[in-house]
Amino acid sequence: MFFLHNLERRVTLHPSYFGRNMHELVTTKLVKDVEGTCAGDYYIIAIMDAFDVSEGRILPGNGLAEFTVKYRAVVWRPFKGEVVDAIVFSINPHGFFCQAGPLSIFVSSHLMPEEIHFDPNATPPQFTNNADMVIEPGTHVRVKIGGLRTELGEMYAIGSINGDFLGCLQA
Amino acid sequence: MVKTIQLGSRLRYPITITKLYKEPNQPIKKKEALFQYSFKWKRTVGDNIRGETWEAEETTYADWSSPSDGELKSWKIRVGQEISRDQDCMVVKESCSHDVQFGGLCAICGKDMTEVNWAAESRDMDRAPINMVHDQTHLTVSETQAQKTENALQRRLLQHRKLSLVVDLDQTIIHACIDPTVGEWQKDPSNPNYPSVRNVKSFQLDDGPRGVANNCWYYIKMRPGLEDFLKKISTMYELHVYTMGTRAYAQNVARIVDPEKKLFGNRVISRDENGNMYAKSLQRLFPVSTKMVVIIDDRADVWPRNRPNLIKVSPYDFFKGIGDINSGFLPKQQDLLTSSAATTNGGLARIAPAPAPDKEDSTTVEPPLEKALEEQEKTLEKQIKDRPLQALQEQQDKQDEEAERASATPENDNTESTTPPPPYHRHQVLQDDDRELVFLEDHLTSLHKSFFDAYEQNSSSPSSLETQSIPDVGTILTNLKSRALSGCKIVLSGIVPIGMDVYRSEIGIQVASFGAELRSSVTRDVTHLVVSSQRPRTKKVRQAIRFLPKIKIVNQDWLAACFSEWKVVDEKPYLIEGLEEAQKKLSEKVQDAEATETVSDADDTDSGNAPPGKKRILRLKSPPRVRFATAAVSGNDDDDDEDDSDTGGDDDDEDGDMDDELEALKPIDEDGQLSPIDGLKTFNWGSADEELAEFLESGSDDDDEDEDNDDEDVEDDDGDEDGQATTAQVTTVTSITTTTTTTSTKRKADDDDGEEEQQEESSNKRRKSLLGGPGPGLSSLRNELKDEDAEATTAAVAEAAGAAAAAAAEVQAQAAQDAQDAQDADDLDKEFEELDEEALEADFLAMDAMDEGDVQEQQVNGDGNENGSGNGGVSENG
Repeated sequence: MFFLHNLERRVTLHPSYFGRNMHELVTTKLVKDVEGTCAGDYYIIAIMDAFDVSEGRILPGNGLAEFTVKYRAVVWRPFKGEVVDAIVFSINPHGFFCQAGPLSIFVSSHLMPEEIHFDPNATPPQFTNNADMVIEPGTHVRVKIGGLRTELGEMYAIGSINGDFLGCLQA
Repeated sequence: MVKTIQLGSRLRYPITITKLYKEPNQPIKKKEALFQYSFKWKRTVGDNIRGETWEAEETTYADWSSPSDGELKSWKIRVGQEISRDQDCMVVKESCSHDVQFGGLCAICGKDMTEVNWAAESRDMDRAPINMVHDQTHLTVSETQAQKTENALQRRLLQHRKLSLVVDLDQTIIHACIDPTVGEWQKDPSNPNYPSVRNVKSFQLDDGPRGVANNCWYYIKMRPGLEDFLKKISTMYELHVYTMGTRAYAQNVARIVDPEKKLFGNRVISRDENGNMYAKSLQRLFPVSTKMVVIIDDRADVWPRNRPNLIKVSPYDFFKGIGDINSGFLPKQQDLLTSSAATTNGGLARIAPAPAPDKEDSTTVEPPLEKALEEQEKTLEKQIKDRPLQALQEQQDKQDEEAERASATPENDNTESTTPPPPYHRHQVLQDDDRELVFLEDHLTSLHKSFFDAYEQNSSSPSSLETQSIPDVGTILTNLKSRALSGCKIVLSGIVPIGMDVYRSEIGIQVASFGAELRSSVTRDVTHLVVSSQRPRTKKVRQAIRFLPKIKIVNQDWLAACFSEWKVVDEKPYLIEGLEEAQKKLSEKVQDAEATETVSDADDTDSGNAPPGKKRILRLKSPPRVRFATAAVSGNDDDDDEDDSDTGGDDDDEDGDMDDELEALKPIDEDGQLSPIDGLKTFNWGSADEELAEFLESGSDDDDEDEDNDDEDVEDDDGDEDGQATTAQVTTVTSITTTTTTTSTKRKADDDDGEEEQQEESSNKRRKSLLGGPGPGLSSLRNELKDEDAEATTAAVAEAAGAAAAAAAEVQAQAAQDAQDAQDADDLDKEFEELDEEALEADFLAMDAMDEGDVQEQQVNGDGNENGSGNGGVSENG
């Protein structure tokens, strides 16, 4: 689910950048550092604006200026039970991997409808029900997130296509 | 999934079950209390300070919590039961067995598997320890799941009559380099290498190495015939890629080799997923059974656990001297069958930097990963900076230029017309002449056939797909291979690095795996002696020479060819070039080798191997020779005469037929006993003469002195020749001993012997270069030679001075006479060949004993003793 989230971050600036457009530089640096990262439970998708850049404080010792920046960002926090659209990128006999934005989701063969089975003889190997459903790398699928786990800067998710309106998206 | 759960070892046994909270068929949850139990224990009570303490027994009641979710099927315990140790307590139908896990999540129920709590003794993570997916490291499965998957795979393969084939990339089916020279050559049609590199594919990697090598182009050359090979093989095998390169690299290469993804599909595993930087393992892909898996790889040492399944192919080395660009992590290979062509080709080894980092000592201690990565990057950077290929081509050009200058101009046109593609008279360094895949295809085909033959025999009905009756392809492969060289008894010489156990060396293991018997020393029944073409003069070669017709002395290419063809290939193209010829060329080397060699050789009466000093003794022992001569001549006169023509120009006859020599020697052998001159059969007398001449005639540092001696000798000889008439009989039987004198005399006495002089000059030069050259063994050799020269000089001077003395005069006279005769009638040289060196020596020693009073004899004798085991005599020294 997407949220607009108010966040805070300390940004340091090298003395060589001190000048009139410091705040601009701080914002740029913030965007560069933060956008697209995984911050624990959620991904920071985009920064809307930095609404409060504090005064710079020179850090004793190295002369860098530290700014505390309050900013507003669009974040995506996947939830268990959330349904997302994803693109398949890898297939093996145990299931397939798909990517929903920055998050890669594994869909086990246990969590597929009964009629879908692994076909290793196809080129490339695929999951198929021998009818309209063919899942191979590049296929768009709709999956329901069944579980999430976060590690530092990383998120793992497992998904299911066993349910109504889940599975292959007919393009 | 029904599972029996145990009480666990952490309880304080004995325990008594007091209450069951759950009935069978009730759902249970993790950490939920399932039953109550009690246990008795001792507590120390009383006053601690006064020491009035005693132990009181107490009973404690505790709950037992469920380690897993699911449904309770049945209890294995009952209320009131006393339990003294760990045992089964209940049967549970688990709601999820967590068979497939992804990044610490159960891929089926979505629960976090990393969570640890008091209820369970083991982590849920441990339920799925096996990582068997090609392109992911985070996906793990349980043993049951792995078994299931693999059974399905085997059944499917059997149905399609296929096997699995794990294919290595680097140097097995392709050769990669990042030398930018290749790119330049590709753009330059005038370059001699243009036709070779035209088909080289290239790509860039986003996540390639950092630093200089960042964003470099990777040049990929496919092994000749690869496309057809893979197409044919893929009908019999399901192909997997297993490489030590990065994932991106592997995928790019796979895209080049298999653009339609028909061959490999997504079955590509790289070092990123391998989980081990130093070894490959089939168990990574086939954790349950490797019965249907074959590997092709150019390195056997990276497959420590799967040797039976491995077909080792000869490394494909297209970009000369580059090696394997992804081998930085792997332990360096100690013993390689380097092709003789590569090593003789203008010092390639010198120019090309070793592909593996120099300092790496990963055979013993595996270097830390970062360090290995750094080393790898350094190697790559070096390749970009140094441009080994360009350097090679420049070197080749230089050689060509020299050759061109040396050869007459008309030849130029010829060569130009014979090599049309390069418009310039330049040779290419990149040759595309590899044929390995042809043989490999044959092997894989026959292996496939044998496997399914065996399978059909095993299985009750041909159509059934029982996995129990699957034969082990590793065993079949081992059987097939062991037939290849069976019956061969092979000795390696100069191939396995010194200090390495030959039986445990890579080559040794391979030789054994092909069914050949590996011997450590040359004996009568050895069939092949494999010699490094770089060092074809070794002790073993000399030992083997005496068995020559039976034993084949071949270079390492023969072994490589056998390994790739799986049969005893015809030895002819690999025989060490006419041993005489080599002997001549390498006479210096032999001396060198001998100087450093153990004396054990000489102890062998057959080997006839003696230190160089030996020859000089013979020079002085003319009187015994006379005695011997009569005997020998009486015996072998006829043969001698017959072979006169053959052996006439000995010096020029270096590459003369060994057979002729053998013919000449036959009569001595005919008595049926082992002839003492067995070792001489194949000996090249011509070079012996030459070498002897070098030793005695040319001085190391005191050439002048020697010259003087020679002059004196000659004068003496001349005088004697006129004055003293020696019997013709005697002179015909000239021993090697006199060869020196003969040669020197020849030079002086014969007016038109310019040829001879030239030769001597060259031999002098060679000797000087030998002495002046660097090398550990040389200094000792030089000293030795000096000593000998000194001795020789004194002896010669003594001889000269004692010209008046009857004995000396006689000796000289004979020598002179011999020499003269040798010139007059060429038959002398033949005599040299015929002479039984050992008999002569024995004779001579006997003579010594008799003529003890003779001063000269004494000196000779002394010499003989000094050198101890002189039995072998000069024979081997040629």
